[in-house]
Amino acid sequence: MSLLELDDVHTYYGESHILQGLDLSVEEGEIVALVGRNGVGKTTTLRTALGLTPPRRGTVRFKGEDVTGVEPHAIADRGMGWVPEDRRVFAHLTVAENLRVAAHAAADPDARLDEAYELFPALERFADKEAGDLSGGQQQMLAIARGMLGDNDLLLVDEPSEGLAPQIVSDVVEALRAASADTTMVLVEQNFRLAMDLADRFYLVDHGVVVEEGDTAGVTSDDERIRRYLTA
Amino acid sequence: MSATALAAGFADAAPLLTTGGALDGLRTAIAVLVEGLGKAAVYFTIAVGLTLVFGLMGVLNFAHGAVTMVGAYLGGLVLVLVVGSGTGTLATIGVFFVAMAIVFAVTTAAGSVIELKLIRPIYDRTPTYQILLTFGVSLIIEEVARIVLTLRGIQPDPQWQAPMGTVPDVLLGRTDVLGIAVRRLYLFEVLIGGVVLVAVWLFLTRTLYGLYIRAGSEDTEMVQALGIDVRRAFTVVFGVGTGLAAVGGVLLMWDPIWGPSVLLSVDVLLYAFVVVIIGGLGSFRGTVVAAGIVGIADSVTTWLFTTGIVTFSGLSEVTIFLLLVGMLVVRPQGLYGVEEVGGH
Repeated sequence: MSLLELDDVHTYYGESHILQGLDLSVEEGEIVALVGRNGVGKTTTLRTALGLTPPRRGTVRFKGEDVTGVEPHAIADRGMGWVPEDRRVFAHLTVAENLRVAAHAAADPDARLDEAYELFPALERFADKEAGDLSGGQQQMLAIARGMLGDNDLLLVDEPSEGLAPQIVSDVVEALRAASADTTMVLVEQNFRLAMDLADRFYLVDHGVVVEEGDTAGVTSDDERIRRYLTA
Repeated sequence: MSATALAAGFADAAPLLTTGGALDGLRTAIAVLVEGLGKAAVYFTIAVGLTLVFGLMGVLNFAHGAVTMVGAYLGGLVLVLVVGSGTGTLATIGVFFVAMAIVFAVTTAAGSVIELKLIRPIYDRTPTYQILLTFGVSLIIEEVARIVLTLRGIQPDPQWQAPMGTVPDVLLGRTDVLGIAVRRLYLFEVLIGGVVLVAVWLFLTRTLYGLYIRAGSEDTEMVQALGIDVRRAFTVVFGVGTGLAAVGGVLLMWDPIWGPSVLLSVDVLLYAFVVVIIGGLGSFRGTVVAAGIVGIADSVTTWLFTTGIVTFSGLSEVTIFLLLVGMLVVRPQGLYGVEEVGGH
């Protein structure tokens, strides 16, 4: 049984038909990358899985259970976490408060926060600082830590390297590797090399459908089957 | 607020305020400041619910003033029913607090039901629907109040005098604080406003729901994605916001400038909107500061009118709305507001 399955999913924004029959499955323990040009439906795929933009047609299954049309908070409660594009930390809450929101369901929230600080020691130094005052890289760490705190089985990570300096990107990659030790991950990433480096498998998305899929081993953006979908 | 009501608020102020000399001038300034803080306490109590509701839910509740009006009448009803000529000062103040608690409980429950049954079904629609709906609810509440009051032989306007007559002697007149004569009722209002401020601040900063509300005010979708049923928080906030509006009404019930009247519905709504817009829609800190600014501006302009320096009876309203216009021109998001709240 796959951890996450999207079956013939059609998702719209208003009248814009974004996902046009997309299928994918994610097995427990793997990192799956969604790659493709801007605007092909990668972020929408994550939003559809989490119920934030429910599909008009098709089925979303999580842990074998049909969650199509289920409220996002209920899907998140079942163990799906989200690290969104642009981080979306709560800028006027402190780092500790950001994490506490995510650890709301934990029996011992303080212990969960300590685990997060162990994984991302920099965050503990800024625990009482407002998240809006952190650098982009620190905010990304916070967003990843927040996504993991809900005791999630699956983490949806959207554009983690976007807008970050190369040195910071390598820190974020390390953080994601650390996170993937306990958590299955779906990764949307514009940086093809980084995506292939992190993921076990990939789905290449174009115009709202999967056009290529497979293992990441040995795949480069120079492959003809990949290149024609990544270049404008 | 009528010119007569304004004069009533400062009826015994003239001798104090026209005394010459620098020291007297300073005392007058401090007395006006304290009275401004009294008004600020009332404005804050009414406006804080409005700003919490908008901050989290993005709903501009046009029925907020009507709830304040209901609070003033319900509170007045409790006082009139319980307090008699033989009731002592402490007992009367005790009844006031009991009335406040009852009104808060009843209106919080009613607000929760309104959110569940009327507002929840239209969250996905444009804000115009929410404005029209809450405005409609406001009209219904006002008309029902007029009907009920008329049937009971009470004039809907001007103020219902019976509860205003229950103010204990200890709150009437002025008291000497460090040589400055300060209206006791305003001190009482400052005290209640202070308690409400601390209670709301503790709720927002020390409870899990408060944390959800602060996070949800920034990004509702993200809060949902973290597994929190934000709709439940909406119900709680709308209920508490409604309850606080009604508590403000209870506070106004004894105030000679306001008092229970159906017109309270529109009058306080305008002031509440001015406060939340100047402070920044959705900002608790902004509401505190803006209530202070509006309260003091109101107090100063009322003093200018009652002392005869300015004879235009609408000076207070004009000044406050000029403050609003100035803020909208210079900083449309208000003192502490962000350009978009709620993230939805």
